[in-house]
Amino acid sequence: MEPQFTAFLYQENVLWIAAFTLGGLAFALGPIAIVYLLMPRETRQIDNKSLQFIECGMDPIGDSWIRYGVVFYLYALIFLAFDVDVLFLFPVAIAYNDALFASSIRDFIEIVLFVGILSLAVVYAWIKGVFKWERKTYLRQ
Amino acid sequence: MGTQNVPSSVVQFAIVDKLINIGRANSLWPLTFGIACCAIEMMATGCARFDMSRFGAEVFRPSARQSDVMIVAGTITKKMMPGIKTLYDQMPEPKWVMALGNCAISGGPFAFEGQYSIVLGADEFLPVDVYIPGCPPRPEALLQGIIELEHLVSDWKRWKNPEAA
Repeated sequence: MEPQFTAFLYQENVLWIAAFTLGGLAFALGPIAIVYLLMPRETRQIDNKSLQFIECGMDPIGDSWIRYGVVFYLYALIFLAFDVDVLFLFPVAIAYNDALFASSIRDFIEIVLFVGILSLAVVYAWIKGVFKWERKTYLRQ
Repeated sequence: MGTQNVPSSVVQFAIVDKLINIGRANSLWPLTFGIACCAIEMMATGCARFDMSRFGAEVFRPSARQSDVMIVAGTITKKMMPGIKTLYDQMPEPKWVMALGNCAISGGPFAFEGQYSIVLGADEFLPVDVYIPGCPPRPEALLQGIIELEHLVSDWKRWKNPEAA
């Protein structure tokens, strides 16, 4: 049997895929186009404040582009260590009283090892002084 | 306010506009905006006992950019007036204004000589479409106002007029 060129073999399928892609695009973009034609282009103004960002009526005070302290980010990372801890301890807590694991000191040691290794992350952060909650300031060069 | 130039769309089909207006009349989205005690009646109207959603108007939007109807529910202080103006500006066309209660209509009990802090009526600075009297109005009055606004938005009638028959 001589080799066939697959592009010609599946021509009909390509047409179907193209049709569905075009249909999907029409469904997605069609409503936007229709609305653009049918919507009123402007809105009645009293104070010309249509473009004010804040939607509570009051004038905003200051800029939202301010710098935040990065301290909380470290705190969130430590939370992640606790989080993973708890995530894996739930199945353990459910299965621990099962007859399969009963009277075995090995399982207990494994849990202690697991929690111990994850706790090292907290210990590391502790030694690094994250819990002192000091604002870190970096001078720009 | 006098007559106003209401902005309209580029493409206009009479039948489509009629259809869209029926849709608008049956799904009025009010702005969640209470400025005095009339707002309590507005809340009662939205809740289960009076059930504004029977008339399709229960979707109170907290953003002015998503709402059709501004229900000016209460006393307008001179300090609040710029905020109301901004909210009205932010509402997209088509938009309607209802003045709920005597304060929003004419200042109500605050219209006396020498008062210095209250705007005497929403129509001092807003094009009000429907006035709902009362101090505060009963929830039924607000529902009646919504039905009146529906008649204003579209020719479609929720009920037949019994007097015409």
